[in-house]
Amino acid sequence: MRNFQRLRIVATLVDNMPAAIETERLTKQFRGLWSGREVRAVDGISLQINPGVAFGLLGPNGSGKTTFVKLLLSVVRPTSGEARLFGRECREPAVRLKTGYLPENHRFPTYHTGRQMLDFYAALSGMPAPERRKRAAELLEATGLANWADARIGKYSKGMLQRLGLAQALMHQPALLILDEPTDGVDPVGRREIRQILAALRQQGVTIFLNSHLLSEVELFCDEVAIISRGRVALSGKLAQLIAGSGYRVSAAGVPGAVCERLRQTALGVTGQDGVVDFRFADREGANRAIDLLRQSGSEIESVRHEQSTLEDVFVRAIQESARERRS
Amino acid sequence: MIAGTQMAALVRDTVRESLARKIFWGFLGCSTLLILFFLLALNIDIVEGAWAAVSIFGQETRGGGLVNVDLLVRRVLGGIAAFLFTAGLFLAIFASAGLIPTVFEPGRIELLLSKPVSRSRILLGRYIGTLVVIGCNMFYLVLGVWTILGYKTRIWNFHFLLAAVLALFAFAVLLTVVLLVAVASGSGVLATMAAYFFLIMSPILAQHEKIAPLFRRQWSRDLMRWLYYLFPKIFDLGNMARLALEGRSLPSWTPLWSSGAFGAALLAAGLWVFDRKDY
Repeated sequence: MRNFQRLRIVATLVDNMPAAIETERLTKQFRGLWSGREVRAVDGISLQINPGVAFGLLGPNGSGKTTFVKLLLSVVRPTSGEARLFGRECREPAVRLKTGYLPENHRFPTYHTGRQMLDFYAALSGMPAPERRKRAAELLEATGLANWADARIGKYSKGMLQRLGLAQALMHQPALLILDEPTDGVDPVGRREIRQILAALRQQGVTIFLNSHLLSEVELFCDEVAIISRGRVALSGKLAQLIAGSGYRVSAAGVPGAVCERLRQTALGVTGQDGVVDFRFADREGANRAIDLLRQSGSEIESVRHEQSTLEDVFVRAIQESARERRS
Repeated sequence: MIAGTQMAALVRDTVRESLARKIFWGFLGCSTLLILFFLLALNIDIVEGAWAAVSIFGQETRGGGLVNVDLLVRRVLGGIAAFLFTAGLFLAIFASAGLIPTVFEPGRIELLLSKPVSRSRILLGRYIGTLVVIGCNMFYLVLGVWTILGYKTRIWNFHFLLAAVLALFAFAVLLTVVLLVAVASGSGVLATMAAYFFLIMSPILAQHEKIAPLFRRQWSRDLMRWLYYLFPKIFDLGNMARLALEGRSLPSWTPLWSSGAFGAALLAAGLWVFDRKDY
């Protein structure tokens, strides 16, 4: 698990370009105004995400994901540590010229029409008016909102708002796109459309930072992930390597209760159906020890399978490991 | 260039929000009614030079005699200036105070701060946008009444325009109170109450020379004087406007510069707090 504790991700090396996102021991501590109680929402996170990478940030609710994103965008100031976007301090407003952001639980001003909203946020990014008009029309078309362009956004559905939010983030053609739960409230067809837009952006070399609790979505889309728990990186690396980590499933019948309880302590998971118990182990050694024990106890081995982990397995394991280490 | 585009967008956004909230239209409607009153209901017939017969809704004024036109114009303009410095400011704060705190709503502020625009520009954009909304309405009323009265009486009192500038200045000072309290607390209601506090305190503190001797303790008397010099002098600014309308010289410029200094200090404090705040 030492590897899991590494706080630094070195993604694919792309030329000598500075990392799209680089943080060093980034920490944010909140202090209650009256209680004086201190909470470390982000606790010394160091990450490096290279340009062109699709990166997924995962973690349970309240693990510090959104605070981390806010630190990158200077919405929240760090207590200590550093955050850089494309090699420049993230506190400099100019660095955000390259960044597009879709916040979670956004509240877009409802007095705008879709077109006006895109125009407003693009103007804040310094885009000239003729360019804004052209780009807004393109993006409204691409997000399927062209027919609603001149309707007040107060009349938009949740899914439409989400797509408009994505269009807003893309108006100034950012090199880094930070998305906080981008498919929240979007129907399956809309999700697919968003994924297609993001895939096209990735092909254009846009770095995508996805903050999502939907593991399947991250698994479908991201090259690299970091799992954070209580403000710390519990696990990080290339997704393909993380889910390729060997997992073994041993199925046996007639397992005595005491043996089952003993194996439960070392297994990742234990399930049973129709008298057959499935034991899941992280490595070969664990599976072999279980087989020996099952044979000694007179149980019948039904099958032994080598399985690839899902991101969910990796996620649960990382969070449990992190909690165990904290306790010890 | 980018700064100009950003500032224009922020000001435009504030005006658009005020239009959507019907604030702008409400003010415009009230001003239009007043202008229409002077245009249609007030009839002034110049009889012999400086004297005129005045009728309202076709009814001659009390006594039915002639009135001094110059005095009439000054009284009417003085009345409107007094309205601007009392009910006008009260309504302007009430109507516009919400325009600044809405920016800090969760879900909205994060997106604004994620744009390549400095925090001070975001806040100044909202501040200037609010001044534009209120300023447009004030000048619409003032220019409308001034033009109608000038046309009907042939007396063009340019000092009245100065009164409108002073009223807008007083509003700008009170708006810095709204801005600071809204940034610090995020509450529009609290921000409005704070601005009203200074508006209400102003006529009381303006009488400090008469009131302070009534206090028994020296420190109470000193405190009242200090508060007078520290707080914005909205009442005194109104008085300056009145004196200007009457064509009299101003005894002191202190209300102007000290209120300006108060506003500048609060604006700077608001920007400082906003720059350091986490959202």
